Amino acid sequence: MKYRITHRTLYQYSQLVGLCQNEARLQPRDFWRQQCQTSRFDISPEPGDFHERQDFFGNRVAYFAIQQAHQRLVVTAISEVTVFPRQNRDDLANLITWEQVREQLQGGPTQTQSQSQGHYQQQTNVDELLDAKLFVLDSPMVVAGIELANYAQNSFSPNRPLVQVVTDLMQRIHSDFTYDPSSTTIATPLSEVLQFRRGVCQDFAHLAIGCLRSFGIAARYVSGYVETLPEPGKPRLVGADASHAWFAVYVPGSGWLEFDPTNNAVPFDQHITLAWGRDYTDVTPLKGIAFGGGQHTLSVSVDVLRLE
Amino acid sequence: MNESANDIGAQFYATQLGVYDEMVAKERKVLPYWERFMDAIATLGSEQLELRRREAQRLLRENGVTYNVYGDTQKLTRPWRLDPVPLLISSEDWSLIEAGLKQRAELLNLILKDIYGKQQLLKKGLLPNELVLAHDGFLHPCVGALPQLQRELIVYSANLARGHNGRMLVLDDRSQAPSGAGYALENRTVMTRVLTDIFRETQVHRLSGFFKALRKGLADIAPHNKEDPRIVILTPGSLNETYFEHAYLSSYLGFSLVQGDDLTVRDGRVWLKSLDGLQPVDVILRRVDDSFCDPLELRSASRLGVAGLLEAVRRNNVAIANPLGSSVLENPGLLAFLPRLARYFLNQELILPSVATWWCGQRRERDFVLQNLDRLIIKPINRNSGNYVLFGGQLSAREKDLLRAAIIAKPHCYVGQEQVSFSTVPSFIDRHIEPRFAVIRSFAVASGGDYQVMPGGLTRIARQQDDFIVSNQAGGISKDTWVLADEPDKQVSLWFQPGRDVVLSATAEPLTSRAANNLFWVGRYLERIKAATRLMRTILLKLAETLELNDPLDSQCLTVLLSALTQVTGTYPGFVTSNASVLKEPQHELLALAKNVQRSGTLAANIQAFAQTAFSIRDVWSQDTWRCVDNIQRRWQQRVVNGDCDPEQLQKHLDDLITGFVAFIGLTTESMTREAGWLMLDSGRRLEHALALIALLRATVVQRHEPALQNQMLEAVLISTDSLSIYRRRYRSFIKLPMVLELLLMDETHPRSLAYQLHQLSDHLSALPRERGKGQLSEEERLILRAYTDLRLVKVSELVNAADDDGVYSELESVLSAMTELLWQLYEVLAQAYFSHSQVPQLMTPTQPEDDL
Repeated sequence: MKYRITHRTLYQYSQLVGLCQNEARLQPRDFWRQQCQTSRFDISPEPGDFHERQDFFGNRVAYFAIQQAHQRLVVTAISEVTVFPRQNRDDLANLITWEQVREQLQGGPTQTQSQSQGHYQQQTNVDELLDAKLFVLDSPMVVAGIELANYAQNSFSPNRPLVQVVTDLMQRIHSDFTYDPSSTTIATPLSEVLQFRRGVCQDFAHLAIGCLRSFGIAARYVSGYVETLPEPGKPRLVGADASHAWFAVYVPGSGWLEFDPTNNAVPFDQHITLAWGRDYTDVTPLKGIAFGGGQHTLSVSVDVLRLE
Repeated sequence: MNESANDIGAQFYATQLGVYDEMVAKERKVLPYWERFMDAIATLGSEQLELRRREAQRLLRENGVTYNVYGDTQKLTRPWRLDPVPLLISSEDWSLIEAGLKQRAELLNLILKDIYGKQQLLKKGLLPNELVLAHDGFLHPCVGALPQLQRELIVYSANLARGHNGRMLVLDDRSQAPSGAGYALENRTVMTRVLTDIFRETQVHRLSGFFKALRKGLADIAPHNKEDPRIVILTPGSLNETYFEHAYLSSYLGFSLVQGDDLTVRDGRVWLKSLDGLQPVDVILRRVDDSFCDPLELRSASRLGVAGLLEAVRRNNVAIANPLGSSVLENPGLLAFLPRLARYFLNQELILPSVATWWCGQRRERDFVLQNLDRLIIKPINRNSGNYVLFGGQLSAREKDLLRAAIIAKPHCYVGQEQVSFSTVPSFIDRHIEPRFAVIRSFAVASGGDYQVMPGGLTRIARQQDDFIVSNQAGGISKDTWVLADEPDKQVSLWFQPGRDVVLSATAEPLTSRAANNLFWVGRYLERIKAATRLMRTILLKLAETLELNDPLDSQCLTVLLSALTQVTGTYPGFVTSNASVLKEPQHELLALAKNVQRSGTLAANIQAFAQTAFSIRDVWSQDTWRCVDNIQRRWQQRVVNGDCDPEQLQKHLDDLITGFVAFIGLTTESMTREAGWLMLDSGRRLEHALALIALLRATVVQRHEPALQNQMLEAVLISTDSLSIYRRRYRSFIKLPMVLELLLMDETHPRSLAYQLHQLSDHLSALPRERGKGQLSEEERLILRAYTDLRLVKVSELVNAADDDGVYSELESVLSAMTELLWQLYEVLAQAYFSHSQVPQLMTPTQPEDDL
């Protein structure tokens, strides 16, 4: 499936901004089920300084600074991406239990290494496992704790395959929690989401990640988009789409498997990935510091267009 | 010599059994080098040593050596305390310590390079992943951002203590922004003054070589301008606990002291915002914790950093000592792995062992810690998570259960450490020599292809005998550390560069716009205080007369002056009130205006603001000037704010206050070069002087009074503007309004006149650096020119021609109020043009993702 994504952010200020520095993670990364053909920025006023790099997690980051006085900033990212509809039934049939996975994640690299000497394939697994360990640990917005563990407990029955645990957890979050954009902000802590059983995609992803980490499982946050289809008989509205977020869990032998608790679905070919990290703070699509400016207003529009 | 005089000899020293003491060591016999020192102080006697101790305290406080204590609502600074008995270390002992510190610095440097580089230690399992990655000091945006120098860890510091067996141990490593070197230097400076003879007779290694190495080390890492790099010290500001040291090092080393908002990133480079425009910065010696250094990529709520700094680092346009992310080394869990890593990297054993540490991320170690909770110290690996250090033995059963549960839930976040008993060192406490537990903070810097260790350091002791908590926050005492040399050290001048016999062109360090703003306000507060002081003094005189002579005219005049005081100081309602008793018994309100720190506009509040503003640019003042500021504030605090002072004594304290400010003005006039800094200070003074004078005139003479009252009033105005004698000399006549106005408004030769202030201000403004079009006036020049011209065009006779029906000289009032308006506008324009750092940064984060369902 091929898509063109147009993500436009408009800032308007009540006073002049003398300088602003920004970091954008708005260019889709490449990985096994996705390839980004083109991706470009259209920024106005034109940045005096623009640099692209890869971050610690391998995401594409653009740093740019507007160095002249301005009262309005428009950042548009336009990308074309192919998402491969690969089957992952085998992965979903992976029977490794969550206790086994936790055991592997707790082991030191030397032990795992000695078991797998000489095999290239296994060596990559070892590296993957080592990398995955970071995603068991607490991160700025997801701190594992007893509350999360209590909620997750029902999904973690003994000797259950991890994939089933996660699928069950995703379904429970989907049915126990109400989707409510008015209920939370970026700063809403997980404990509140848990208490009021309301939130948006970001909260549900964080919640699932926190539940898994509380049981020693590695989980990461994925930021991206999902294609929406117009209601039957109605025309497609341009720019009516939005950013989306879900999570992925590390399953040895299969790699990172994705789950979307907001839609209770396993991402297939309609989920376009921008970036991943420990939580939202690692992959904020666009953030910046502006000097001056007084009050600011912001509007975001996203358009996900299926090309073929 | 009588008995009491040498009661501080070594024979009076009682050490504790089972504790290693620095003076008697293992053999429990006074070591020869200590014996010489103890003999010398015994010859002095305890009385004399106490006098020397006090002299040291006096010098320290006059030099402004302070340590800010966090959590103190009064924002009080605590004077630094120094014990006149130093810690002596033999040259033999020292060479081992020195070698140990160098080895440790090398080792930590290699670990740092690996963690932010290839991460071989993690991949090979030499360091557990979760130990490094779960530490708050691991900043993933910094991975790959190190500048590829041979030594990335530039400054290193370690806390050392001797264990009971006499072996020196490292308690913890400081790798992010180590403090204390400046305090050590100041301690030394004071010690050489108070124990001059003993210091001279003892061969002690000097400290200046270390600071020379520091300068060189910092210059060496500059990515650009290697010949003459601009190096700045980044401080969190004057509320930081070690701010004194930041200011001290900046003047000693000759680096600009800056705060985050003094710097900006443009084109991927770091620039200093100065009155002369943007100046490139090559090296930053930082005293801001790394996660606070860049709100764009690190902690977004931080107001202490510079947005885009990490990007500038990544492009190798600026070097930071220590590099961002280096606090990852301040992880107590790391201590458990250092012996293994020393063998891996250096093929050596650690020369200085660490305090025994068990990291709970390993099952065996965790079980050991849980089983031995009672006799261990428990630390979370991250310092900010609530309780920092827990002594297992001091916990209640319930607290222990909670701790156990916390360790089991996240074992990798905790370590257990052995409770070490430190060695004791002779200390002068309450006129006796007593043993105290001591910790030594030592310093090393990467310079010239090696680590250079400061031969000495900052020794700290607990105040109480059995107290192990040795920290400045807990109110400890510091000591100088004398490393004994085999032969006398040569004095190394920081500034001497052998073989360079050339005259360098003098360069002025640029004035940051923040410093400019503060200088301007120091000037304003100063004049504000002077104006209020002089008026209050006049009022107290008048009050005394009123009480004595009971003349109704005096009391009418007093009433007007009192309300003028409220108006000039802006302390409404004050004397502008219908409450007759306030005016009848003004003493209470007058004392409040002198004493009350909480109320804005009072003398006490303005003096505090003056001193705090001056302190926030401590680096621009000479030693003498600072002493002056300190005296002004301290005396007022002691005598008036906290003292029991009546109106009569107040009169005397007001005189002293004026004298204090005259000294301050004299010193700044004498010692400051006539550059932007001085121009800013004096412009602030002139502007405030003008405003205060106008306010006084508007409150006193704009209203027409009966001739007799008028006469008294004018005299009071002349007294409180320090112009009476000059009036008499000049006019030799009765005091008349037109002539008073002539003198106070128009006379440019009179330094207290409005015309004089405006003229000076105009000169200063045209001398300030500012981009302007050819032959064009800047906005502030235009405004001051207008004010000055308007004043020159005034005809005094017309101002006081006739009062209107309400008895107001309305022409005079309108001229004066228009002038005030212009001067306020002028301030706005100046602030825009020169203090623009005050542009507030804001975070622009889009709202959270909205879903498609």
